[in-house]
Amino acid sequence: MRSKFITLSIAISTLAFTLSAQAHDPKEHMNNAEKPDCAAMENMDHSKMDMNDPVMQAMMKQCMGDMEGMEGMEGMEGMEGMEGMSGSEAPQGDKPAQHGNESSTEQTGHNH
Amino acid sequence: MAANKFLRCGKCLMITAVVAMLGGLAFLYSGLYPMGADVPHNGLTYWGLETMRERSISRAASTIEVPNDLASSERLLKGAADYNAMCASCHLQPGKNQSDFTLGLYPAPPNLAQKGDDHGHDGGHDGGHDDNTYALQRQFWIIKHGIKASGMPSWAPGHDDERIWNMVSFLQRLPELSTGQYQVLTARSDNTKKQEH
Repeated sequence: MRSKFITLSIAISTLAFTLSAQAHDPKEHMNNAEKPDCAAMENMDHSKMDMNDPVMQAMMKQCMGDMEGMEGMEGMEGMEGMEGMSGSEAPQGDKPAQHGNESSTEQTGHNH
Repeated sequence: MAANKFLRCGKCLMITAVVAMLGGLAFLYSGLYPMGADVPHNGLTYWGLETMRERSISRAASTIEVPNDLASSERLLKGAADYNAMCASCHLQPGKNQSDFTLGLYPAPPNLAQKGDDHGHDGGHDGGHDDNTYALQRQFWIIKHGIKASGMPSWAPGHDDERIWNMVSFLQRLPELSTGQYQVLTARSDNTKKQEH
């Protein structure tokens, strides 16, 4: 009886600790987040858009649905195949690459 | 004769050190130092704290490896939403110059919607680092570990390194964004939601 109680106590406290330490999920931000105002993109001069610019690519991903059939966007370089593109398939930006590898590792181990 | 002089000098130094220590302790316990955030530090204290902060971050951040895909649109998008939810109230956004936090916090949080040269919190240029790489390492370290007694929390609990690098990625482009671009990037579209599921 006593060992059951101890086991149950340990299980409950472990569960409580695990739940409290869970990562802060990005989806939590979605509930209060507003929708992108893609109308602003319609007023841009599309001929001057740099489709290799990561900012432009990111905006396109955000406004993919709204921009379908937008005047002047059809056939623009970089737009082909944007629909349904997952992030990992996205073309890389034209910013110079940083050194190091992709897995972000902090080697110092300092915790302040 | 010389030994006597040396002993006398040593004694003097010891007495001076003890008096200074007691004086410091007395000041500490007197409660005379103004701790309110509405009274700025004196120049010497500010310089001391700032120097200690920058030297500490420089030492700790200098060996952090920077991912080579920081400029990707995927990182930018993910970091944008997090910045808006977690940072913008203190570090502002395009079209906003102040908030209750920027007015009340001391030291005032830097306006990250401005370029590093404008807000003066880019870690300076000490010549020992590649400036751009160090700026990235520094931002990552500060987001991850926070800064004591400054209002900047550590985001490490609940946020892995990748997520913090996404925010660093967004910070690189933030100063050049218009209010419209900021709104589109930080909002949550159906497409973003699909990607995160």
